[in-house]
Amino acid sequence: MGEHRVCNARVGGSNPLPSTNFSGGSVLRGVTRREFLAIVATGTAGAGVSWAQESGGMASRGVKPQPRGKPSGLPFHARFTDVAAHAGLRAPVIYGPPDRMDYILESMGCGVAFLDYDNDGWLDIFLLSGTRREGPVEGATNRLYKNNRDGTFTEVTAKAGLVRQGWACGVTVGDYNNDGFEDLFITSWPQNILYRNNGDGTFTDVTGAAGLLHPGKRWGSGCTWVDYDRDGRLDLFVANYLAFDFDKIPPTGKDPNCDFKGVPVNCGPRGLVPERPMLYHNNGDGAFTDVTARSGIGAVKAGFGLAAVAADLDGDGWQDIYVACDSTPSLLFHNRGDGTFAEQGLLSGLAVNEDGNEQAGMGIAIGDFDTDGRLDALKTHFAEDTVALYRNAGHLVFEDVTLRSGLGVETRYVGWGNGIADLDNDGLPDLFWVTGSTFPEVERKHPEFPHKTPRVLFRNLGGGRFEELLDAAGPAIAEAHSSRGVAFGDFDNDGDLDILIMNMNEPPSLLRNDVRGSGHWLKVKLVGTRSNTSAIGAVVTVAYGGRRQAQAVLAASGYLSCGDRRLHFGLGAATTADLEIVWPSGVRESVKGLRPDQLVTMKEGVGVVARERLRS
Amino acid sequence: MTRIVKALLSTVALGLAGAGGMPQAQAPSAQVPSVQVQGTGVEAHLSRGMQLMQEQLFEAATSEFEQALALNAKDPKAHFEFAVCLLSLGRNDEARKQFEQVQKLAGESRYVTYYLGRLDLLSNDYASAIKRLGSVAEDPPFPDTAFHLGVAYVSSGDVEQGTKWLERAARLLPRDYRVHYRLARAFSSGGHEKEAAREYELYSQLRDEHKNTEKDVRDCASALRAEPLADAREVCRRIYDPNDADKLTLLGQLFGDAGAFAEALEPLNRAVQLDPNSFEAWHNLGVTHFRLNHYKDARAPLEKAVALRPEFYGSVVLLGATLYMLGDDAAALPVLEHAHRLNPADAQTAAVLEKLRAGRKKE
Repeated sequence: MGEHRVCNARVGGSNPLPSTNFSGGSVLRGVTRREFLAIVATGTAGAGVSWAQESGGMASRGVKPQPRGKPSGLPFHARFTDVAAHAGLRAPVIYGPPDRMDYILESMGCGVAFLDYDNDGWLDIFLLSGTRREGPVEGATNRLYKNNRDGTFTEVTAKAGLVRQGWACGVTVGDYNNDGFEDLFITSWPQNILYRNNGDGTFTDVTGAAGLLHPGKRWGSGCTWVDYDRDGRLDLFVANYLAFDFDKIPPTGKDPNCDFKGVPVNCGPRGLVPERPMLYHNNGDGAFTDVTARSGIGAVKAGFGLAAVAADLDGDGWQDIYVACDSTPSLLFHNRGDGTFAEQGLLSGLAVNEDGNEQAGMGIAIGDFDTDGRLDALKTHFAEDTVALYRNAGHLVFEDVTLRSGLGVETRYVGWGNGIADLDNDGLPDLFWVTGSTFPEVERKHPEFPHKTPRVLFRNLGGGRFEELLDAAGPAIAEAHSSRGVAFGDFDNDGDLDILIMNMNEPPSLLRNDVRGSGHWLKVKLVGTRSNTSAIGAVVTVAYGGRRQAQAVLAASGYLSCGDRRLHFGLGAATTADLEIVWPSGVRESVKGLRPDQLVTMKEGVGVVARERLRS
Repeated sequence: MTRIVKALLSTVALGLAGAGGMPQAQAPSAQVPSVQVQGTGVEAHLSRGMQLMQEQLFEAATSEFEQALALNAKDPKAHFEFAVCLLSLGRNDEARKQFEQVQKLAGESRYVTYYLGRLDLLSNDYASAIKRLGSVAEDPPFPDTAFHLGVAYVSSGDVEQGTKWLERAARLLPRDYRVHYRLARAFSSGGHEKEAAREYELYSQLRDEHKNTEKDVRDCASALRAEPLADAREVCRRIYDPNDADKLTLLGQLFGDAGAFAEALEPLNRAVQLDPNSFEAWHNLGVTHFRLNHYKDARAPLEKAVALRPEFYGSVVLLGATLYMLGDDAAALPVLEHAHRLNPADAQTAAVLEKLRAGRKKE
């Protein structure tokens, strides 16, 4: 019946051809609406409308990359080396079988965290872990590593009381009981966990006592501490991905949602049952109250929620919550300031891409890439699609500037954890994300879709433009892994940002950054008094060299992960910087004329309480 | 006679192998038959290239266009089709060079201007995009010209002009959700909240419809594969929209692909009424009649399809076969000769032609 496929009214994809009659005249006659759509597809990096998905259960636009321009030739002063093995991070992160992923749960991986759990001024590492359906894997557990302050770490998981094997997903770090020590909340299938930091190097599972045990099985994904009502206590937001049960999910290849490029793969998320996020209010007595319905969070249409990030995106003093959704429109919960939220993803421009198509949202990074003093957002997606870079235009309006910023050149990989971070201390925040396929089976038939893929780094050229660096930032960037979570932090306290990465069924990567050149930097650590002690939700704006860069203190970022709570600002050639802080309580403070290359600790209502020259 | 028609039909099917809805990434170029034909002319390479593009095999298509240009470097049509193909591949700089070559060879063309404007937009040269697209916007080569012009204005920061052109685009393409989304964003940026809300509403409605259709198509295709026709018909009925030519064409095609030709007729007949310029609808209707052995009824739709796309081999050869079946050898001969020029590798067509020519000599 091939002749019917001639016209193929483009069931499988949009016709890229305009019906052109070169001699003119009749050209317009032959152009159908579908052809128009196809024409759009051709030119807007392939954002074509098709009536059938070509990538199974994932939203992918089938985007072809934009052509790469000539390299700028500018030097890049950051150089990354994977030092995980040397640092003692040698245990693999178990997550499903290594060579196939029969269930979507096995494919999504988990997050990582940089935190200073013992308050010694050195970043420790917390790695989440999965397991295998067939049964427990010996030695597999979430792991806590204490920083030895010499470039190495010692595993202290058992001593800390954190041994646990299961399907851990996301982690958020914050001092929910304001005792001065960072606590851990972990999302997991089928049950989430709250660990209270006892302040003596140990943690206690207080999930039940805190009222956070939920009935039945639930797949918690993104999570973040957020003081949404500004009462000085950290509340808890939890995204849920989808309803999952090994016994109820269709088997691999069962229907069109379980097929990728003709290869049977694990099913979903499309075709599975999406979930709604939840919000828990901190009562101040160690327990939480479910306020999902009361706050309006529960009124949203169910979606496939993954990463969740809380930050005051419109500068009104109240933290908003942005949730990356996988193949459904992403969600922006605007904090009304009265204990309720309004979902404004569409109105803000953060729900979909510039053509109005939802994308397979995975990770969210918040930062100020154009140094205009407003928080922008970067969201990662599936392969054959671009990331989405949203510029904050103010008043909760975001513009999708992905293509015009030069990011459309990279569409090859499935993107996960990400960051907007100044990696080379030139004063311009760069973009970084990790990648990895969810379908290891596919590469056997389609080598162009490998399971393990490199990291992606776009250096900021200024003027809203970025340039992908394929091999100019050290050997660790091109190394291929199937990665998920990412955390940014300065584990060796040398004045630059290092990167911690979760790799599926491999040891993690610890990318040590060795910045050369003369770029200056400033680190800011905040300690809340009226606000939560972690200062989560504070926004710091640093003015330097004619720029104003905003950063937020986040309890979660990227893909299900959490980074260094000390904010890191590259200053470039600037030798002085002015600081403005908006604390979560609403208190505003400023410090002028700070010298670079130091860590400044600010206490709410007190000012600068410590200055440390690190060893850059 | 029957044997010959069967041969022609197999030729049609052969020529279209790989077009079965398979996206490019699913059909590695190794699967595309690499036809090496002695004496292949520019016309044949162009036809083959266009067919490959139709099948979304763009890389393979570039080779055909390159061969066409190797035979005649001054053929503006070859440069033009090559340029469109390169644009589809995202090889924008090369596409620009080819479009510029067309201009050199054939002078100004609003189609080329349109594409160069699109390339300007893709390279963030908004001023040039506005100039080029603006110069053809009053007599647009394609209905989406206003859309791209609006996007160029908005991207350049001129939200007011951008909104104006996007409003025009929304009138020209009232059912395209992307146009309404962009317009909503433009209204938002301009502070026109009421108008933005209206456009967001329209966008959401159209987007939902689109997603529903996606699902309906998947369900229909699956039902046609797995269920009795009577049951599948019910499932597929969900796609039926008497006022949407695209959906009707699609429905006809789905039925046709499943061999349910009788079911394909009604939606396709309705589709050509709604959109008499739809090559897809006419071609599918012709094929359907042909498969039902309604050769008289097949003739007009296939003639229409060939008029709309004279270089589409599949339509041309099927029209030739239809005429042949109707006994109109005089009419069949030039059509099949045209088909043979478009695809000289097709031995069956060559054989039929030989018989026809021999028959004419005897007369």
